[in-house]
Amino acid sequence: MNENLFASFATPTLMGLPVVLLIIMFPMLLYPPSNRLITNRLSAIQQWLVKLILKQLMSIHNTKGRTWSLMLISLILFIGSTNLLGLLPHSFTPTTQLSMNLGMAIPLWAGAVIMGFRHKTKSSLAHFLPQGTPIPLIPMLIIIETISLFIQPMALAIRLTANITAGHLLMHLIGGATLALMSISTTTAFITFIILLLLTMLEFAVALIQAYVFTLLVSLYLHDNT
Amino acid sequence: MLFRVVLSAAAAAAPSLKNAALLGPGVLQATRIFHTGQPSLAPVPPLPEYGGKVRLGLIPEEFFQFLYPKTGVTGPYMLGTGLILYFLSKEIYVITPETITTVSTVGLLVYAIKKYGASVAQFADKLNEQKIARLEEVKQASMKYIQDAIDFEKAQQALVQKRHYLFDVQRNNIAMALEVTYRERLHRVYKEVKNRLDYHISVQNMMRRKEQEHMINWVEKNVVQSISTQQEKETIAKCIQDLKLLAKKAQAQPVM
Repeated sequence: MNENLFASFATPTLMGLPVVLLIIMFPMLLYPPSNRLITNRLSAIQQWLVKLILKQLMSIHNTKGRTWSLMLISLILFIGSTNLLGLLPHSFTPTTQLSMNLGMAIPLWAGAVIMGFRHKTKSSLAHFLPQGTPIPLIPMLIIIETISLFIQPMALAIRLTANITAGHLLMHLIGGATLALMSISTTTAFITFIILLLLTMLEFAVALIQAYVFTLLVSLYLHDNT
Repeated sequence: MLFRVVLSAAAAAAPSLKNAALLGPGVLQATRIFHTGQPSLAPVPPLPEYGGKVRLGLIPEEFFQFLYPKTGVTGPYMLGTGLILYFLSKEIYVITPETITTVSTVGLLVYAIKKYGASVAQFADKLNEQKIARLEEVKQASMKYIQDAIDFEKAQQALVQKRHYLFDVQRNNIAMALEVTYRERLHRVYKEVKNRLDYHISVQNMMRRKEQEHMINWVEKNVVQSISTQQEKETIAKCIQDLKLLAKKAQAQPVM
């Protein structure tokens, strides 16, 4: 029972070949590039979405921060589409693996922080001490701020992993409950099924929201450091 | 759905695949042709307006047409049902909690697409139309601007043809002004000359009058001088006689 629960999170291999690379690269196929001005409906909607997200996300940054636009848009599109594709039955979601999320979070966070320390050293160091703290508290506060700074990449990665994994697990468990209850009492099974429907709707929302939150936080770290 | 993509991709890639099969990889790199002849990408071929027809949203129509000669209309459906029942009964497809989640996820997706599919498609079409309208507007504005410039230029050219009227009017004005000045001066000259001539005439008249008066005075003075005292007494006695006669005549007449 325990093994079955987490089987869907095992790295997929096909006869010993790691197919996970293909799975990670698959969402790329869903965003067809085009050299036309007027494209089909899919491309038109995608272009409109990207424009909307770009305006919303990059409006707070200055010129230096806007050089990260491509990175951030790719990030949000990748995480969003990967999460949404993971909701399909029998699919593997790469973002459930902590390894991948750490691989996304740490370089981005480190890049932003190091850039901030290199170019605006004073201002970056000043972030360690909020304004208006009483003098006796200063040493402790600096330690606490340092810890909170170094926790940021961990928090980014673990937040995404935990949310998506928890969602998938919950859906699996409630599905199992419905299956088990079907032979006992159909009405309870039906109610559980309704819960499952609501949860699925939540999962769709969560998939998109988590992508947004990840990208937004990276954007915030960038804003602090440019 | 992807089946058609693969077919078309294979058909498009077939000639180049053949070439690639003949040549080694190094030779292929060396003989790649760049930028010769007309640009082959423009104009882009038009997109098909409708996608391929599918039944149940998944299975292309060609599959049903393919099976029609042998199994008729219900053939593919029987095949599908049979396959599903086979997988279920032989437990090749096991009913797991995943099945229930599948049912809920796919059910939700189908419901959402059926409900909002048309409006999203309309929105996408509207986006494209707006893009075209914006560019069309720019083109029309540019054309209108150029057309206005052409019309203005033509009007200016027509005006230039009529410029001689302006010059004629100005010429006439100047001629009239010159004429007026000339006549005015002529009149002034005439008046001055007349003035001088009048002066001479009046001088002459005055001289003559003075001479006349002088002569009359001289004659009177000489006549008066020439009357002697004798003649004067005789004249006065004659005058008194004439007066007496007249008085008698005058007395006699009113009594009658």
